[in-house]
Amino acid sequence: MSKFSTVWVFSDAASRLPELMGAARQLGEDVRVIVQGNEQSAQAFRLGADAAYDLGSIPADRIIEDYADTLVQTIKNHAPNALVLLPATRRCKALAARLGARLTAGVVNDANELVLQDGHIVATHMVYGGLAFGKEQITTPYAVTTLNSGVFEVAQEDSARTGSATSLEFVAPKNPIICVSRKVKQSNSVDLGKARLVVSVGRGIGNQANISIAEALSNAMGAELGCSRPVAENEKWMDRERYVGISGIMIKPELYLALGISGQIQHMVGANGAQIIMAINKDKNAPIFQYADYGLVGDLMKIVPALTEALKR
Amino acid sequence: MKIIACYKLIPEEQDITVNSDGTLNLNKTDAKISQFDLNAIEAACALKQQNSDIHIVAMSSGGEALANPKGRKDVLSRGPDELIVVSEPGLENALPHQTAAILAAAAQKSGFDLILCGDGSADLYAQQVGLLLGEALGVSAINGVSRIISLSDTQIQVERTLEDEVETLTLNLPAVVAVSTDINAPQIPSMKAILGAAKKPVQAWQSADLGLGDVSGYTTLLSVLAPQQKARARVIIEGDGEEQIAEFAEHLRKVIG
Repeated sequence: MSKFSTVWVFSDAASRLPELMGAARQLGEDVRVIVQGNEQSAQAFRLGADAAYDLGSIPADRIIEDYADTLVQTIKNHAPNALVLLPATRRCKALAARLGARLTAGVVNDANELVLQDGHIVATHMVYGGLAFGKEQITTPYAVTTLNSGVFEVAQEDSARTGSATSLEFVAPKNPIICVSRKVKQSNSVDLGKARLVVSVGRGIGNQANISIAEALSNAMGAELGCSRPVAENEKWMDRERYVGISGIMIKPELYLALGISGQIQHMVGANGAQIIMAINKDKNAPIFQYADYGLVGDLMKIVPALTEALKR
Repeated sequence: MKIIACYKLIPEEQDITVNSDGTLNLNKTDAKISQFDLNAIEAACALKQQNSDIHIVAMSSGGEALANPKGRKDVLSRGPDELIVVSEPGLENALPHQTAAILAAAAQKSGFDLILCGDGSADLYAQQVGLLLGEALGVSAINGVSRIISLSDTQIQVERTLEDEVETLTLNLPAVVAVSTDINAPQIPSMKAILGAAKKPVQAWQSADLGLGDVSGYTTLLSVLAPQQKARARVIIEGDGEEQIAEFAEHLRKVIG
């Protein structure tokens, strides 16, 4: 079997549907999409759905996760095996677990790679905070996965394709969860994850007062300031939300400039996504230089202010 | 009211090294409570502070590491009144569906009104155990809970943070709630709490005590491998003289664009 006979697709985020459809078309013969309303149904057909099933409009006090029984009934009625593809959103992870339990199916979240191997789905996902990737094979007839974004090519829309969706009857869950209210989330004050340039400070900076020289450089570059774990957690010189690494945040900036960071694997896991890594450290044997595109071996207190001046010129 | 706070012992990630073949070396790692589960334990303790009628049971399923008295004291020093562990060799490698089945049987045996879990464990981060536990017990379960608004004898109201919105949800009890890391900042236990922990009751069960047959997995973990290192230019300039700094600055300027 080179493809699953049936792939089911559901996305709570409309923006994720094209990529899920790309994945589904690649992995399945027959692609069935669960949609919310006519507009999404039309989009699903343009993206290559063989069939669509419409949940209709969802009452404000109901959560999508409570449609698990509705989905399961539809999926089971169609065939005794299938792949169910969802985006790796928090909502869809909750839905995935519910589907897995009701379909006696294995579930893998946050898949970074999805392939068929000997008729079974093998999903790769990050483990140990990013130190490694686990490859997990789902051995049950139904398989459920939530997919990270950027893994598959997006399906292109073909405006000639149309179809009409089958309406689904809501199957009330045994223990409904009532949604009292919803509000749009306030964004965080610092979002290192979105910064194009990041200057990051390690314990090698010496003391909290010296961080000001890193700040001056970062300002001159138009960069955000990050740090390593010891700076945030042991020394508490900087906020925890700026800490890059295994239990901190993972970033993918164009440039990561590490100042006085030794470069342990637990830190580099957070920074390795950078297109270019530059490092300044007084120890030429520091592991950071193994990960760096450009390195400078020397005294931060001399180099950083000089760089700041050079950039102003 | 009885609240179960679930936790998992995982290898201390700061001690993990990567072997040359990309496999992980866990030999020098200590077992510690998974970070997100500390949030669940703390959330249970916060509820108890508001209502002294609450009895907190810490609960874990796993391998022989759970027999370690130091580890048991560690979890009990964080506030739970009692500890229940289901431990036997091999369970440290249990996958989510198996862990959930064991915890469900243990929870049923001990009784509960509310179960708190972390959103995922810091090792496998499968983010399923709490939700599957709810399914196995036939009660409501939800993930991503960033605040507990209220708790009564029959209901819990929570705030749940999603990617772009925040929901307020009401769940009927009994229920399972998986909390996110932003729900609280777990406290470091006081010396008094650490000393008191040794006196708290511990029950150690095996899966046979729970009448559980063989819980076979739905998935197989084929491999755990560190990613290939991205090739880097590794242009290293030695020295902090004017010339060297100027050369480095030139590279920096090009990258900034």
